[in-house]
Amino acid sequence: MLERAVAIVGALLVGGTAAVQLRNELPLRSLDANVTKLLLGLMIVGCVLAFLAAINVMGVHATA
Amino acid sequence: MASTTLDPGRSITSHEAVAARYADVDHEYATTRDLRLMGFVLFLISDCVFFSSFIFSYLYLRTAAPVWPPLVDGKQLPYLDVSFAAVNSVVLFGSGVTMHYALESWKQLKKATFNIWMVATIVLGICFLLGQAHEYSGALQTMSWTGSPFGATFYTLTGMHGFHVFIGVIYLTILLIQANRGVYTGSKYFGLTAGTLYWHFVDVIWVALFFLFYLW
Repeated sequence: MLERAVAIVGALLVGGTAAVQLRNELPLRSLDANVTKLLLGLMIVGCVLAFLAAINVMGVHATA
Repeated sequence: MASTTLDPGRSITSHEAVAARYADVDHEYATTRDLRLMGFVLFLISDCVFFSSFIFSYLYLRTAAPVWPPLVDGKQLPYLDVSFAAVNSVVLFGSGVTMHYALESWKQLKKATFNIWMVATIVLGICFLLGQAHEYSGALQTMSWTGSPFGATFYTLTGMHGFHVFIGVIYLTILLIQANRGVYTGSKYFGLTAGTLYWHFVDVIWVALFFLFYLW
């Protein structure tokens, strides 16, 4: 239960921060900025997955 | 948008201020930086292909198996612990955020802040590795590397990823030392950019592994 709570709070915090970082990168057009945008976007997807796993929407078959 | 005044009566944007700071970068450095950046991105793409080959092997083995996790001696292997993996994933993704802040701090010439974010990134990377070791210690009770396709693919892929994280922690530590020894300046810091891209890449690979092994 504690693990799931930590995962929920962490996923919201990290995902939200990454979204802000992505928004700040959007106006930039260099190669490293474009790659960073792609990787930050995928990292946000990872945070969404971690959040869904923590609230039992995904990975519900799993047991410890 | 934040603005900076350089000339009386003329206010410039923060992007213009950054461009002005880069004006001292000579043409040769700018050219080689672009080439090195392209080379590094190609390296990341090749690493992506490397992981993809193992991921497709896993997909083949998984879809070919009648049940998953597979049976070993007539008994089905247990599922992995999703809760712990979710926490460990958040730790790794959090390290990506701190690494991004470290690079931004360097761009803004805030060295003390840069050091704090870099140390935070390294600590979170080590925490992820410790979490992975903890998970292995539990998983090895029921699943060996050679005992089943599940164990073989799980330990190979997560082990390769863990090795990348381990190398990344060493890489970031070297970058931190170099930055504090004056190797990088406010306008010449390609190593830090490459380190950030590598660390984000390691995060993204974990997104795929987390989904394939724990959520699917």
